Amino acid sequence: MAGRKLALKTIDWVAFGEIIPKNQKAIANALKSQNEFLTTRLAALSEKPQVINWAFYKQNVAKPGLVEDFEKKFNDLKIPIPEDKFTSLVDAEEKEDVKIGAEFVKASNARIVELQKELEKIRNIIPFEQMTIEDLNEAFPQTKLDKKNYPYWPHQPIENL
Amino acid sequence: MLSRLALHAAGALAPALKNAAPLAPGVLQTTRIFHTASPRLAPLPPLPEHGGKVRHGLIPEEFFEFMYPKTGVTGPYVLGTVITADTFAAMSTLGLFVYIVKKYGASVAAFADKLREDQLAEAEGLKQTSMKNIQDAIDLEKQQQDLVGKRHYLFDVQRNNIAMTIELFYRERLHKVYTEVKNRLDYHIAKQNMMRRKEQEHMITWVENHVVKSISAQQEKETIAKCIAEDVFSVTLNKNIPLKKKKKKKKTVSNTIKRLSATPQIHTTCHWFTKIC
Repeated sequence: MAGRKLALKTIDWVAFGEIIPKNQKAIANALKSQNEFLTTRLAALSEKPQVINWAFYKQNVAKPGLVEDFEKKFNDLKIPIPEDKFTSLVDAEEKEDVKIGAEFVKASNARIVELQKELEKIRNIIPFEQMTIEDLNEAFPQTKLDKKNYPYWPHQPIENL
Repeated sequence: MLSRLALHAAGALAPALKNAAPLAPGVLQTTRIFHTASPRLAPLPPLPEHGGKVRHGLIPEEFFEFMYPKTGVTGPYVLGTVITADTFAAMSTLGLFVYIVKKYGASVAAFADKLREDQLAEAEGLKQTSMKNIQDAIDLEKQQQDLVGKRHYLFDVQRNNIAMTIELFYRERLHKVYTEVKNRLDYHIAKQNMMRRKEQEHMITWVENHVVKSISAQQEKETIAKCIAEDVFSVTLNKNIPLKKKKKKKKTVSNTIKRLSATPQIHTTCHWFTKIC
């Protein structure tokens, strides 16, 4: 009845807390408390059970052969390790998640490139002293006055003045 | 000519025109092209620090330069000596004009400058906020990419939980087997002990009952009579027969019978009698 080495990954609980979105905090907390409960239980149970003192029983039990029989059967008994049906599910989910993550990172990088371009554009505008209004409108499109919707001065809703 | 003068003076005054400049004499700017057939420079070159040089506060220097090749230095002044009916009106208007400009020019220029400064500052602020926003967006993207790298912890926790529950079950099973086997062995031993004890007790009671029964009523009367007749309580024989003290004899049937049948001594009879009473 040899014990197996339990292969547990160390978990960074801070990072775990960071990645959970706000509406799933309850589930995450449940996961965490389950984890703690399991660790304490596991620590309480020893890995190997106590050894039975066969010699003592051999001396004292009158019925012949009973103790030997028990001992033989006890040593031959292999307790089956419970079947693990769930790790594969978790792995499948993680694969999906990795895919989604990779896509997100790709899109994110594309966005970063766009943003960098814009940043450079803004950095390289001509100094304001040399700008005309048209130049300003090019550099900062939000300054362009809407002459279509507001054909009369001030070309913007009065409240914005 | 006068219109040109007016234009230039107005240009020197009006702040809204792009080419506004403070009213101060300075070096003649040859880089600035005023109102000629305009090649548009894009972006516009920077505004000159000082406006075009003027002589006597009114007349641009270009006028004198223009006339210099034909008339020399005194040419424009000769033009000035021409007097007509409206010269006086012109002179008084001009004088008034000069007076006003001299008095209020600086403050108006400062006001104009301040307006311009404000516009520039606003535009600068616009630029800075834009840059900051873009930078924040970039940082956010980078942060989110970091988080994506940490998502595996969720699955790690789940896998750990599963592994731990399985291990727990396994260990519980081990312990259970141990306790069950131990229980059965202990049961056998306890049963044996109990049986032995019961047997002993049963045997003892059986032997005692048997012996007591074997003392028939007859024998009992004889014994009592003998005791009274012999009058044991007064005189004791010399022989001090010691009582048979406990020799660790096992409580078996044969021993009991032996003990009880070794009676006929008078002493021991009565002692024996009291013993069994």
